[in-house]
Amino acid sequence: MTDQRTHNLPFADGLRKASQARLTKPTTSESKRMQSTSPARWLKRGAGFAALAFVLAACASDAELNTRADLAGPEAIQIENFTTWILIVTYVVFALVMLVSFEAWRRYRVKGDDYEDDVFPAQVDHNTTAEILFNGIPFAILVVVGFFTFLLHWELNGENDVNPITVDVAGQTIDWEPEIVVVGQQWWWEYQYHFGDVELTAQRVENLPVADITTATQMVIPVGQEIELEVTSRDVIHSHWIPALNGKRDAVPGRQSAPWKIQADEPGVFFGQCTEFCGLSHSRMRMQVIALEMPEFQAWVSAQMQGIALDAETQAYVDELVSGATPAPENSSERAVATFRGKCASCHLLEGVADDLWSAERVAEQLVSGAAPNLTHFASRTTFAGGIVNVYDPDTGEFNENDLRAWLRNPADVKANFTEPVSADDPRLRGMPNLNLTTEEVDDLVGLLQAAGERPSDFVIQETGVE
Amino acid sequence: MAIIERPLAIGPGDGAETVKRPLGSLTRPQQTGSWKDWLSTVDHKKIGIMYGVAAMFFFVIGGAEALLIRIQLATPNGTLLSPEVYNQVFTMHGVTMIFLVIVPLAAAFANYLLPLQIGARDVAFPRLNALSFWIFLFGGLFLNTSWLLGGGADGGWFNYAPNSSVTFSPTHGIDFYALGLQITGIASLVSAINLITTVLNMRPKGMSLFRMPVFTWMNLVVQFLLLFAIPVISIALFQLTFDRLFNANFFNTEAGADPLLWQHLFWIFGHPEVYILILPSFGIISEVIPTFSRKPIFGYRAMVFSGIAIGFMGWGVWAHHMFVSGIGPISVIAFSISTMFIAVPTGVKILNWLATIWGGKLRFTTAMLFAVGVVSMFTIGGLSGVTHSIAPADTQQTDTYYIVAHFHYVIFGGALLGIFSGFYFWWPKMFGYMLNERIGKWNFWLQIVGFNVTFGPMHILGLQGMSRRIDTYDAGFGFEFWNLIASIGAFIIAAGIGIFFYNISYSRKEWKKAGMPNPGPDPWDARSLEWMTASPTPEHNFDEEIIVEGPDEFWHRKYGYDEEGNVVRIATAEEVAQDGSNTNVHLPSPSYFPILLALGLPIVSYGLIYSLWLCIPGAALIVYGIVGWIFEHPDDPNAAHGHDDHHDGGDDHAELDAGDETGELEAGNPEEGELVGAGAPIASDGAGDAVADTETTEA
Repeated sequence: MTDQRTHNLPFADGLRKASQARLTKPTTSESKRMQSTSPARWLKRGAGFAALAFVLAACASDAELNTRADLAGPEAIQIENFTTWILIVTYVVFALVMLVSFEAWRRYRVKGDDYEDDVFPAQVDHNTTAEILFNGIPFAILVVVGFFTFLLHWELNGENDVNPITVDVAGQTIDWEPEIVVVGQQWWWEYQYHFGDVELTAQRVENLPVADITTATQMVIPVGQEIELEVTSRDVIHSHWIPALNGKRDAVPGRQSAPWKIQADEPGVFFGQCTEFCGLSHSRMRMQVIALEMPEFQAWVSAQMQGIALDAETQAYVDELVSGATPAPENSSERAVATFRGKCASCHLLEGVADDLWSAERVAEQLVSGAAPNLTHFASRTTFAGGIVNVYDPDTGEFNENDLRAWLRNPADVKANFTEPVSADDPRLRGMPNLNLTTEEVDDLVGLLQAAGERPSDFVIQETGVE
Repeated sequence: MAIIERPLAIGPGDGAETVKRPLGSLTRPQQTGSWKDWLSTVDHKKIGIMYGVAAMFFFVIGGAEALLIRIQLATPNGTLLSPEVYNQVFTMHGVTMIFLVIVPLAAAFANYLLPLQIGARDVAFPRLNALSFWIFLFGGLFLNTSWLLGGGADGGWFNYAPNSSVTFSPTHGIDFYALGLQITGIASLVSAINLITTVLNMRPKGMSLFRMPVFTWMNLVVQFLLLFAIPVISIALFQLTFDRLFNANFFNTEAGADPLLWQHLFWIFGHPEVYILILPSFGIISEVIPTFSRKPIFGYRAMVFSGIAIGFMGWGVWAHHMFVSGIGPISVIAFSISTMFIAVPTGVKILNWLATIWGGKLRFTTAMLFAVGVVSMFTIGGLSGVTHSIAPADTQQTDTYYIVAHFHYVIFGGALLGIFSGFYFWWPKMFGYMLNERIGKWNFWLQIVGFNVTFGPMHILGLQGMSRRIDTYDAGFGFEFWNLIASIGAFIIAAGIGIFFYNISYSRKEWKKAGMPNPGPDPWDARSLEWMTASPTPEHNFDEEIIVEGPDEFWHRKYGYDEEGNVVRIATAEEVAQDGSNTNVHLPSPSYFPILLALGLPIVSYGLIYSLWLCIPGAALIVYGIVGWIFEHPDDPNAAHGHDDHHDGGDDHAELDAGDETGELEAGNPEEGELVGAGAPIASDGAGDAVADTETTEA
């Protein structure tokens, strides 16, 4: 039995006198056995593999959300440059601490067998110089770090350098100070462009004037221009984050954020993800910024100012419906219009088809978050359902009918969603419900949505593709 | 209230004489040696052990939740958990690990060790101590019953408004969160008052504040942090409860509330909470490292003052959790700078531990391995903390896995590893047998390797842009590889923890097979007073009051210096230590009222959620508990002759009869009596001497 107790106490020999536990010293064979199975030995074998795996994986950098590679915004690049310096400082400090630690462990370690009860090191319990340095060195490092942090913070949050740009809006040329209202809700982002001369100081998002362009999930900006973002929310707190352009900013209901800016110095698509936990489908609340050269941006603005383009027959049918008549639909596109007006228009706006049925107040009464995506330019966007489903197949460029059908059949199958009203007393909905559409109705609506808005460029379709 | 020591109100004479029992009061239970003793115990050591057992139970639950998270995230588009369940699992993982594991594990050590380290008989208010534990246990169980009653909380441990409202979280999960944390908060608050009083009032002669061990100091700071932090979260939780259950509008943005109110309240509590988690571990390793380096702690005063500094500065950094909330650039930079400078006292601690190790004679026992593990791992966590005190960088890092990596390096690498160090270190003192060192080393290495394999890659994932609290992620963002590695690491950690549990049963079995050898009072050649009594600690802690002459009192009784300044042994531990043989010590009697009173709280809470009628029996139980508590007799006055509620093997009344009831207090110095713990109520020798049979009560 004694050998078992020996394992309990590898330093038994040295401690015997102190504790009088009468424990025996391990025999040589025992100590060898202990060594051969020592976890440290196993660790050394594993460390090589771990290091190799680390190096291999560090090379892989295909991440569209990466905060440290493929950056396109001056703010993100400034942050990254500073972060690099800070990481170097922390690596050095850590290396020094570990160096001292390893050296201390190596130099002063006494193996169990060699431990002598009556051998003591010098009983140093303080050293004033050392203690002043222990305080002074971290303090000095942090004063330097703090100083540069202050400078960078001031630069990033200082006066915005927004230059007015000229855009043609409905035949008028306007000087637009690029400012976009970003509104989060469960679980998608709305982007509002106000070209008129409005002060965006409203505390609550519903007090804002109707925007000239209201789009969802994808923000389109001109390249090389600083864009001011006013970030807010309609329901819970979200956070708007495009890592390649700038850090994040929370969208807080009832608050307009302090001005936040982004700028893309090259054309391209920049991915984002909601980063403040916002409930069920937080992980499926994504967005993209599409930076276009100025002429393309101008073309996009012009297209967004138009309503849906219907053929003459359908247009006439819509006009009849608007005037109050109830003619029976005769073909797919007429059925689609009728279905949309009957089942979709109380929440979704489709300009040119159901403007008369839609009002912001009415939507606010029906939905907890108070808004549903504006579908007028659905087909000009490349993702839907909060940026998780492609509108076009990124490889073939085909309109992605299948996923759209699946979504219309039952949204909750595509994306986790609350489909029930809030409660018996509160009939408001929290997400897109299952409308129990027939297969025919779904097919009709897919056709209508495909015609809603201009197809974006192949470049955008390819670059924005999500899995 | 001061501690009043007063003689028993039983007159000398016939023990069968009945004293009128107050209305509805229960007799004080007696220790019978059965498991039921644990329900009524007021012994700080038993309570400490129960804290530990309960916390380890919750640790297994929280760990299982962690493994579910890691399985879900091991591959893209994981389908093990639905989004609803994932949100509950990560919320409850955080809540469990913080409130039901780390805090109570620290409380376990604090309860067990604080009275011992200052040389006291027990805590100042023994029944309150039992109350704290039972409230904590019932609160934790209440919180976890939500799994069986429609699902756990799903708003994250931070539970930001307005996502926590009924509209956005219609299940009862967040009600359980609000009420459960309210209950465990009461436990922490009561415990804080108790331990602060203990440390300030119960020290024996000579134990000045600056002779207290660093562990005691760090826990004193922690108790003050709890004392001031818990009320803040209590208010926030009350507001949340009223919002959810009674349609109040504290956080209802539709009614014009500002949701940042919750964030400020939560983090004013939440940031000191971080130091509440880490400082006990700092205290533990400040005991372990000197012992196994054979040197006194380097810069004792610097260690104490840096702990106090952290305690103070911890109140001025909360908004660094809100750098992207839109609180305005001036606030952001102010909190950015204040956060940076909290690294100074923390850095002082790291450097002092290194200086303690430097030049020592190092014995790498399992406890020491865990302790130096804390120093290294916490350095990583501290440095990554500095990187996101830099507000501009934090706008990229916050709410990504970089933060997840950071706080796990602090809470797992700092707090939990330190607690494991404490397990291995104090196990023989608590249970009378040693944990096996060879298995312990497997435990350590698996745990620390698994820990780094799990959380190291999360730094990379975070900088690659992986958001926190996402139930799944798509392929193609570069997240696949490191998530898989992290999940593998989680199972290595689980293996390490499993080995710890195995070690407990293995070591115990081997110890029994070996004929239960006693490890002696001082198996590690340690320094502080808890080693100056037998192992396991006798119920009365110390046989007689220890007169303290300096820091590391116990060590200085074992060792002295020769003319050249070399250390020489002057006595063995056995010669110095008390053998626990004193049987003539009166201890506070057990009581049923703490557990009864505590039981009322979850009943009221269920009532608030499901039916207000249920609140009536719950409240009645609480009122009964309080009233009975107040009128509870110091001893059972009607107990028959021959019983032993003084746990000393003697006949209580016979002992009492032998003593001169009125004279005994005057024999001592009553003023001193208020301040001493173990000292006064101890009989010296001789049957004719006064038996200082006094009761420590909460007056």
